[in-house]
Amino acid sequence: MTTIEGVGGETLVLEAFLRLRRRGFNLGIDEYLAGLSLISAGAAPLPYGQSLATLQQGLKMLWCTSRSEQGQFDGIWEQALSAIAASPQVTIEDIAPQNPTPPPPVWPEQSPWSSPPVSADSTQGRDPQPALGDLTPAPQPVRAPFTPAEVDHSGDLQHYWPVSRRSMSYSWRYLRRIVPAGVPEVLDIAATVRQTAEQGFYLQPIFTQRDYNRAELLLLIDQKGSMMPLHPFTREVADTARYESGLPPEQVTVGYFQNVPGEFLYRDSFLTEPIERQTLLGRCNANTSVLIVSDAGAARGYRQLDRIRTTIDFLSELRRITQLYAWLNPLPVDRWSGSSAEMIARLIPMFQMDQEGLNRAVDVVRGLGLPRLRP
Amino acid sequence: MKFFTGNPANRPAEVHPDAPQGEPYLAAEDLVMAVNLAIFLQRPLLLEGEAGCGKTRLAAAVACELGYPLYRWNIRSKTRYQEGLYEYDALLRLHDVNLGQKLADQQRDGERPIDPGNVENYLALKELGKAFTLRDCPAVVLIDEIDKADLDFPNDLLTLLEAPYEFRIRETDTPIRAHHPPIVIITSNKEKGNLPAPFLRRCVYHYVEFPDQPEQLKRIAEIHFQAQAPSPAQEGATALPEELVDVAIDRFLEVRNQKGLAKLPGTSEFLDWLRVLAQFGNQAPYPLETLRKATIANLPYRELLFKLRGDWRQSELSTSP
Repeated sequence: MTTIEGVGGETLVLEAFLRLRRRGFNLGIDEYLAGLSLISAGAAPLPYGQSLATLQQGLKMLWCTSRSEQGQFDGIWEQALSAIAASPQVTIEDIAPQNPTPPPPVWPEQSPWSSPPVSADSTQGRDPQPALGDLTPAPQPVRAPFTPAEVDHSGDLQHYWPVSRRSMSYSWRYLRRIVPAGVPEVLDIAATVRQTAEQGFYLQPIFTQRDYNRAELLLLIDQKGSMMPLHPFTREVADTARYESGLPPEQVTVGYFQNVPGEFLYRDSFLTEPIERQTLLGRCNANTSVLIVSDAGAARGYRQLDRIRTTIDFLSELRRITQLYAWLNPLPVDRWSGSSAEMIARLIPMFQMDQEGLNRAVDVVRGLGLPRLRP
Repeated sequence: MKFFTGNPANRPAEVHPDAPQGEPYLAAEDLVMAVNLAIFLQRPLLLEGEAGCGKTRLAAAVACELGYPLYRWNIRSKTRYQEGLYEYDALLRLHDVNLGQKLADQQRDGERPIDPGNVENYLALKELGKAFTLRDCPAVVLIDEIDKADLDFPNDLLTLLEAPYEFRIRETDTPIRAHHPPIVIITSNKEKGNLPAPFLRRCVYHYVEFPDQPEQLKRIAEIHFQAQAPSPAQEGATALPEELVDVAIDRFLEVRNQKGLAKLPGTSEFLDWLRVLAQFGNQAPYPLETLRKATIANLPYRELLFKLRGDWRQSELSTSP
């Protein structure tokens, strides 16, 4: 019985793997080897090596990590198949139609891992070696790991989702200022044991104060107008800061404004509950982190002097209270030039809203200040 | 290496004493394939899907058929990865140090040994730890609702769930190494967005679909009511009328196909509803004609089908017969 095992199958797996990687699938060399092992001799009791359809199904389960990826897989697989068919050296025999019922499975006693999963002649056919050079596995995460932002929202702007919800929550977690406070109520086991050992008998447990995260966050979000298309996204920014940052709710304040933070800001995203700017800033102290989320005119390329002036007013007032502030701009850097965003970026650390930018902004507002640019 | 077939009749004669008993489960072909892929590659199987479609029950079905023990690790919002490995009770030990000085060997038989000198008395292996120490066969470990845990949790698990399957008990400095890599089944509802990519990459992913063919539902109903068949004396009272099942399936699928429901009822809701129709109340089994003619707003025991206030209202507005 012949199967698609062998040169043809391996080339196909490699071709599909490379194509998926080019389309942004997060796959490493381990995944490639696992895919190869499906058509290796060790997998004989499983049906993957027997027909193209089962191989496709197996690789789909192995290489896709969400429904939307599964949706893309079939098309890419077809492309890989036709690319292989176009190259004359390789032929793939699909024996499934002639042999619709697989033989009764015989369970092997040995684990296939006792032999290396890649057969020795895997370098035959189209040599995979040159391609493997750029397939180094992703480095281990040192802070928030990359998380694909899968978007299930429909609508034209569904492609705008630069930071996934999980990564946002992650970034907020770095916003911390730990202060021990309150009555001593946490049992310090190590100290108690040490004291017992030193005294030779046990007198009383040793308690320490509980640690509290005293970091405070004021999030100011531009709403309506040019920010309208980004509402689902900014809502998620506010939600994660409120509920998933690990900060107690009273330490996170979210304020909204339209276009510029003027005399009045708003407590709700519909801009119906006004709150005086003085009142809002009056609640801040030198340890409050302030993050402003706005396109600063970059979305429509505005450069209106009165708006810039109002923003400068606001910033100079803010600067008297706290030094921990940053601006997150949902528009990419190359859209800032020529608009008021370019000017404001000289007054306040402004970052593009993506994973990197969010991390750096959080760094700034927690006091790991970057050198500030002064006008 | 044994594989899963989805047929409980393949359960071997000799099973591990902790293996779960008869778990009624109908596994679709591609789900069986996903399980085998995970077993073969020794990777965790990540299951997503609508609530109540049998993600959690699959683990029991796999363990039941293969005759392996099942260790279920329920994840809560504060779960740390360490809790799945072992527990060390420092407080109890401290307490025993004191008690030991006062008791001075007055210990009675049959009581917990009070010997704070021996750290083993205060260590207890947990789900993954137990699975790693099994000698004769692999275990099935169910990590239920992994998305509930803290954000770092999946990353912490990563190194544990791949070769060489090893961890170290800090208190005694003993390494624990798995004799057989466990079959790990993970369920997720995506409560906090996607899981981190390095974690996803190592999993075999399967989306559990709702079985929306009437035949499938019928088969599921049969399997389940067989499994909980009571003693022969009561059988007459609780047997499942076949016609009722057919009508109930029709009506249930109709509810699911309704537009605009936010939370679709799943397989578990279906089974509950069916059981109530057949066995609950003084008119059980529920009269066929009434069930057939009821509008969706008047369906009996709607409490079991609609779990959101909005859905409840939506069903009241519905006019279809």
